[in-house]
Amino acid sequence: MISNGPIPGENFLADTRNYPWHRPPEVETYDGTVEYVMQRMENEETAEIIYSLMEIGRPLTNIVAGLMMQGIGRGKFQIDMAILAAGPVYRYLQMLADSAGIKYETGLDTKRIPITATTMRMVLGIVEDEEEDTPETASEAPTMPEGGLMGAPTAQDATEAPADEQAAMLGMTDEEEEV
Amino acid sequence: MKFEKLIDKSIKAFLDGKLPEELMKVQEGSITYTPEYMDELEADFAEVEPEEEVSEDDK
Repeated sequence: MISNGPIPGENFLADTRNYPWHRPPEVETYDGTVEYVMQRMENEETAEIIYSLMEIGRPLTNIVAGLMMQGIGRGKFQIDMAILAAGPVYRYLQMLADSAGIKYETGLDTKRIPITATTMRMVLGIVEDEEEDTPETASEAPTMPEGGLMGAPTAQDATEAPADEQAAMLGMTDEEEEV
Repeated sequence: MKFEKLIDKSIKAFLDGKLPEELMKVQEGSITYTPEYMDELEADFAEVEPEEEVSEDDK
């Protein structure tokens, strides 16, 4: 059986200076970390990406996590410092979004979406063929109910009342004319 | 716990007004970016009028 995992002690042989996050962080303080991320956000390219992400509805918490991950990957600050400094960075992002008039998702809402047949269909990508059903029902001529109290009148029922009965119904009888 | 979850938790704690007290003990001096400081900064931001949206056709 061949194992693809690392050999015990392999980490002691690897050159730990190969990766930025293996070296001591450039920024060690809380304020320094927040300032570094804020300055990164002022960079034109980074700002464009952030504004675009906010406009497409990406939650702010995701953007903060991305910014922090980027700083950790570059060896600017440590993971624990990134987690601690996430709060002020989030507030700063909120301010940027508000000042730019962008409607954003906070990402802090923990509302659970109830699982229903509709949501399950959406998740699984099941699309019902409603279009196929519609023409069939449309092509069929509607059948009128016959007989009974609410039934449509048949040809036999559709007889005209005599002229004097119609005149009586309209109040055009001789008695009324006299009055 | 995933990194994203930790970030969420940290943000919620900051919004509730909690500060990294243990870090403040280790680091000399007080920290600048407190919730109060961010509130003041937000007030300064609010004074600035929101930028008008530029449509893609105008670019």
